[in-house]
Parts: sequence; structure tokens; C-alpha cells
Amino acid sequence: MAAKKAASGTVALAPVLDLNEASALHGKLMTMRGSDIVIDASAVERVGVQCAQVLVAGAAAWQADKKSFMIEKASDAFEKTMQLIGIDPDKMVAKEI
Amino acid sequence: MDMNEIKEIFFQECEEQLAELESGLLKLNDGDRDPETVNAVFRAVHSIKGGAGAFGLDDLVAFAHVFETTLDCVRSNKLEPNQDVLKVMLKSADVLADLVTCSRDGGSVEESRTKTLVKELEALANGEMPSAAAEAPKPAAKAAPAAAAAPAPTDDSGFQPIPFTFDGFGGDEEAVLGNVFDISFKPTRELYSKGNEAALLLRDLSRLGEMSIACDMDTLPAFESMDPEASYFGWKISLKTAKSEDEVRAVFEFAEWDCELDVKPAEASEDEEQPMVPVPFDLSALDDGPAEPAAPAPAVVAAAETASNVTKAVAAAVEKKESAAAAAAAAAQNNAAAAAASAGQTIRVDLDRVDRLINLVGELVINQAMLSQSVIENDATGTSAVNMGLEELQQLTREIQDSVMAIRAQPVKPVFQRMSRIVREVADMVGKQIRLVTEGENTEVDKTVIDKIAEPLTHMIRNAVDHGIESPEKREAAGKDPEGTIKLSAKHRSGRILIELQDDGGGINRERVKQKAIDNDLIAPDANLTDEEIDNLIFAPGFSTADQISDISGRGVGMDVVKRSIQALGGRISISSKPGQGSIFTMSLPLTLAVLDGMVVTVAGQTLVVPLTAIVETLQPEASAIHSFGATQRLISIRNSFCPLVDVGRILNFRSTQANPVEGVALLVESEGGGQRALMVDAIQGQRQVVIKSLEANYTHVPGIAAATILGDGRVALILDVDAVVAASRGQSLKPEMSLAATG
Repeated sequence: MAAKKAASGTVALAPVLDLNEASALHGKLMTMRGSDIVIDASAVERVGVQCAQVLVAGAAAWQADKKSFMIEKASDAFEKTMQLIGIDPDKMVAKEI
Repeated sequence: MDMNEIKEIFFQECEEQLAELESGLLKLNDGDRDPETVNAVFRAVHSIKGGAGAFGLDDLVAFAHVFETTLDCVRSNKLEPNQDVLKVMLKSADVLADLVTCSRDGGSVEESRTKTLVKELEALANGEMPSAAAEAPKPAAKAAPAAAAAPAPTDDSGFQPIPFTFDGFGGDEEAVLGNVFDISFKPTRELYSKGNEAALLLRDLSRLGEMSIACDMDTLPAFESMDPEASYFGWKISLKTAKSEDEVRAVFEFAEWDCELDVKPAEASEDEEQPMVPVPFDLSALDDGPAEPAAPAPAVVAAAETASNVTKAVAAAVEKKESAAAAAAAAAQNNAAAAAASAGQTIRVDLDRVDRLINLVGELVINQAMLSQSVIENDATGTSAVNMGLEELQQLTREIQDSVMAIRAQPVKPVFQRMSRIVREVADMVGKQIRLVTEGENTEVDKTVIDKIAEPLTHMIRNAVDHGIESPEKREAAGKDPEGTIKLSAKHRSGRILIELQDDGGGINRERVKQKAIDNDLIAPDANLTDEEIDNLIFAPGFSTADQISDISGRGVGMDVVKRSIQALGGRISISSKPGQGSIFTMSLPLTLAVLDGMVVTVAGQTLVVPLTAIVETLQPEASAIHSFGATQRLISIRNSFCPLVDVGRILNFRSTQANPVEGVALLVESEGGGQRALMVDAIQGQRQVVIKSLEANYTHVPGIAAATILGDGRVALILDVDAVVAASRGQSLKPEMSLAATG
């Protein structure tokens, strides 16, 4: 299931962020480049590293564009997986934990 | 690696675990009370259960679980593993093996068998440890009938609580987290494309202990230029764990070719450079696979994570008890880790690859022999540098060949272990008490030989139990221990493996055997046979002494088939029996079926190879030592005894008249029955190792000839089947089609 646009400037993440989802998510974010964005991670049940890569690269790109890139309502699974793979979900940067 | 390959590996591991299980139970049966033996048995069942869970093999999981629970009572000293208990456990091991086989090959195990054993196992677990039931969160007695009625573990109530005490675990992990490893892990794109997930591997890793992690994002490109399916992240991990390095590496077992991985014990200085604050994870939200934290078979854990067919019900049912059980197992394993590590590292290699290597080395040996021969022909003195170099080459080739052969060599242990099950089952069926004692089970022999002896050995064991050992009443009446003993032993002797099957039964009833042979027209009523000859009648085709044909043996296609199978392997079988004391079957088999040390001889202008193992001595007959016997028979007198003289050229129809023995050489050979014959050949060319090339595979079976080989000069030489030639000399003439011109 591809990430779908919930509202203007908002992307709701799919429950399963696996290999297949990475390209879809990347494509979705590409179309929203240049505007502030809110990522709704409330439905996420599983996060694969490749989707995490897309999100981290996206956060860096938005930061370079001086636009806001926010993760909202992160599910427990989302937070814990990000923590597990060493990423601060709030800042989308590598974090030593 | 696809799912089927992973599953295949699981089944291979199951076989190893089952062997471990059986050998452990047999040790316990022999009075071994080493806690490590009990742990090994428990681990074997636990590992099978863990792997089976990953593949959704519910029947297997359910049975393994009940079995494991009872085994745990033994492990925690709540159940004394006496003979009765072990009998149930050995039977359970058999059922577990059958369940594994059915899971692999299809089919099903009789439900009544499984149910009966589940009940017996539960009775053992309950009956012997009332205190455990009281301690357990759920009354075990309540859980028991549910498990018996519904083996599939889809219902939580189908599982008994595992009655461990976990003092020292969980709250006090520090005590057991002895090792710190620095791990560097960088997956490649292939890791993901094959369905693996780095996050799951990291999760498994985190379950081994306390983990600190730093993500390396240096290679992550700009958002617009990134490939969403590529792999950019890598990790530096510090893991504090009770596990060994091998166990840590095992987490990555299914991904090791698709990542850069470095696992090494941590150095103190590095800790200072990279301070990491351990954060214990609460992973409960991530559990989407089967819960197998710190499972003793981490290999299947990775499989479990990628397996989509894992039922969550299994995971849910097993999880809580499992994690605790695994923690306990981990502690026990910790002690055993050193021992296990020293057991040696192994790799799995496809048998075809080994066979190809063996074939190539065979060709190398032939080529080297051809080269040597042409050098010798051109260097009569044998002193040239080339010649010296060739000698070294010859030695090296021989060493390479031995080493390659050693790759195929396997201990006979798995076959012997299978026999103990047969003894148990058949003895149960016929109501006898029999103990199987094995010796020399680590004796190694070529895998082909191992694969092929299982069947004849099974038949012989069945025979020994059914006919060899008497009923307990008869034994008692004869003043013997009511429990019979069958001894199966293996040893190396002069380049062959000798397998002996000895029973302490009544021995061969020669009167009955002889009468039966007369009734079946196998011998003439007035035949005068020696005891040995009578004993050997049981190998005659169509011979059966069982007055009543039973399910087990006595169908009349027994021992002759055994004998033929053994002979097909280039082996010999003989029997010796003492009335009232039992019988000994001795099988002598070649260690390998690929090479042979042979004596190269000339017979009627043809070159033949005689297996060296058959030759006792060689001699040049003198005219005075040759005696005629009857019209055609001749005897040679050797050290005051007479031995029949057999002209190989005549027997093989290479020539129409017998050669003059004085002009040739006699090879004294020992035949399977122990009797000796002097084989007449024209001349001895030399002695060398030859590579066996199957005649059956390349041409067709030729009576009197075992196989062929290629000599140094490139010519084909036939390898003599000594036993067949000796048998032919006894009057059992070789078939007419065996009249052949040896290929030159």
C-alpha cells in the first residue's frame, strides 16, 4: 500500500513500511518537495530500514530547503524501531543510543 | 536463499538434533547423569520446536512442547530418569523423528501413537512433581487433557506451563552477561532484495543481551538522487551478552553473504573512544514474528522473521514461557559453549561437489601414473631430476587423495543410532527384552558405504531380535539373563571396516537349518556339511527357518539379500555361531569405493587387478607341491596343508585348458567363508593403487569381475571379484555370458 496523502502537506505512512513501500514513499515525498510537510506515523506497525533511509534523507532535504518536516503521532512500533536502528525519530538524525 | 532452502536446512539440522537427542537419551539410559547430557537432550528438542514454530509445523511444535516440558522436569531434577521414564522418552524421540519426517516428506504419524505418548509424557511430568504443579501459574493437570485432545498449538491452553525456576535470570542479567562484542554491520542491497530486513536482524541481536547502537549514515546521498531500494545505512554496535561469538554471528547466518559483518570482542580503549550508553529496549511492540529470543537455534530465527507463514497464535502461545525457557537454556549453554565450540567448525558442502573433486583427483592419480610410466620408459636409471620430482608428485597425489577421501568419511554413528530404534521397536513387538550395546561408533567410513549398509544392517538386527535372542522365559530356563544383549561394533582392520553384530541368543540351530535346506532342495539329503557350511546356508537364496512368517522377518528373502548387498559394496559377510551362546555376524567392508590397493597381474595375456586386501600371500609353486585331486581339481600343499588351486585364466574362460601351475604364481586368497584358495596367475606386474571405475555404470555387470580401472599406460584393466572366482571354483560355475575377452 502506498503512502497516501491525508491532507495538504500531510503524508500518512502505511502500516507496513517495507521494501515495496520505500519507492512509493520516496515518490510521494518527491511530489511534495518545497512545502512544509507533516508525516503521520500513527498507523505504522512495521518499519524497514529502507523506508527509514527515505525518511532520513527527506528530513535532510527539507532542512536544506528550510522547510519544516515533522513526524506526528508516531506509533509505538515506529518509535521503537527507529530507536532500535539508531535514529532519533524526532530529529530524523543518527543517534547513538 | 528462498524459503524452501531455509526449510531444507532446518530439516538437516533436525536430523542432527534428533541424533543428538537419541544419543543423549541412550547415555542417560546407560546411567549417565551428567547435567550436560540432560541439557543437550533438552536443547535438541527445544531447537526442533523453535524451528518448527517458524515454519508453522504445528503438530511438531505441539509434540515437541510436551516432550520438552517433561524433559525439563528431568533437567530440574524433579523427575528421575529411570528406565521406565527413558523408555517413554525414547519412544517419544522416535515419534518426534517421525513427525519431522512427515513434515518434510508429507504423510502423517498415527494420531493414536502421538496421543498415547503425549499422555504418558504428561503423566510423567505431573505424577512426579506435585510441587511443580502447585507453583505453576496454571494447574498442569488442567492443561494436560487439552493438550492431549488438541495437539495443534493454536490454543494457549494446549500448553503446559513450563515449571522452571528462573532465579538468576531476568532481574539479575548482569551476572550472566559476560562478553562484550563490537559489531560492525553494513547490509548490501541484496540483503533487502532477498527479503531480509536489517531491522529484524538488529532486533534479534538486541535480544541476546544489552545493545548500544550507532547508525552510520555517511553514505546516504541527497534525497533526490537516492535509490529507495538501495542500502545506505550501516551500524556500529556494542553488545553485552552471555552468548559466544559464534552465537552472535549466528543471528546473521542467513544474511552473512549479503552484508559486511565484523564481530570481535570489545577492547577497553574503544569503549573510551566511543562511549555508548546502553538503553534496554522494550521490544514488545515489535514482535511480529515467532517469539524465540535467544533461541538455541538462531539459524532458524532469521528464517522465522522472513517467514510469512508463521502463525501469530504459535508465537503468542509460546512466547512468554519460551523466553524464560530460552534464558534458562542460555545459561546452561553458556557452560557448554566452550565444549561445543571445541567440537569443531563445520561447513555444509553439496555432496556432488565432493564427488566431483574425488573424480578429478581420481583422474589426477591416473594421469600421474601415466606420466610416471612414460618417464620411467625413457629414463632407465631412474635418477633424473624429472623422475625424482615425479616421486614427490606421486606422494603428494596420494596425500591429496587420502585427504579428499577423508572428506567423504563419516562416522557410522548415525546408522548405529538408527539400529537402537529398530531393536526397541522389534523387541516391543515380539515381547522380548533386549539391550543394544554399540562400540566404535565413531569409526569412519565412506559416506556411500554408510548409506548402503543401513538396509542390510537393519535386516540383520531384525533377524537377531526376532530369531537370534530367545524369549525371556526361554532365557531364564537356560540360566541366562532374561534381557538379551545385541552388540554392534565397528572397527578398522587392515584398510577395511569390520562391523560385527553379536547376539547372546541361542545360536544357530544347525539341525533345523540343515533340515530346512534339504526341504527347500538347497542341499542333497545326504550332503555332508561342516558346521561352518551349515551356518552359511542361511545366506542361501530363499532360505528361511521361521516356521511362521512374521511381520518382522522370516519372509525368506532375508540373509541372501543381505549378503548380496554387502557383496555389491565389495564387502564380505561371515557368520560364526555357538549353540546356546549366540551368533556373530562379521561384515568386512572397504573404507572407500573410489580407490583400491591392488596387485596387477597377467593372466593369459590380459592384465587384471586383484584387490590387495584379499591376498594373504604370494608364492611360486614347486612341482612337488602340486597334487591332482579328481579329474580336474588340483591342490597345492602349503606348510603341510592343502589348498585348492584355481586357475583364474580357466575360470574366466581366457583359455580353454588349465595352465601349468609351475610356470605361474599362486596368490593365496581368503574367501568370505574364511577358507583359502590359491589363485593361479601367469605373472605379477606390480602393486599399485588404482581408481575404481564402475563396470555396471559404464558397461554392464560381468560375473567374476568387480570393476575396472585405467592403468598408467592408459589401458583398461579389470578388477577381479575374488569371492566370485572362489565361489566359481567350488563348482558354482560363473554364468556362460562371463566368457569374455578382457579389454586390453
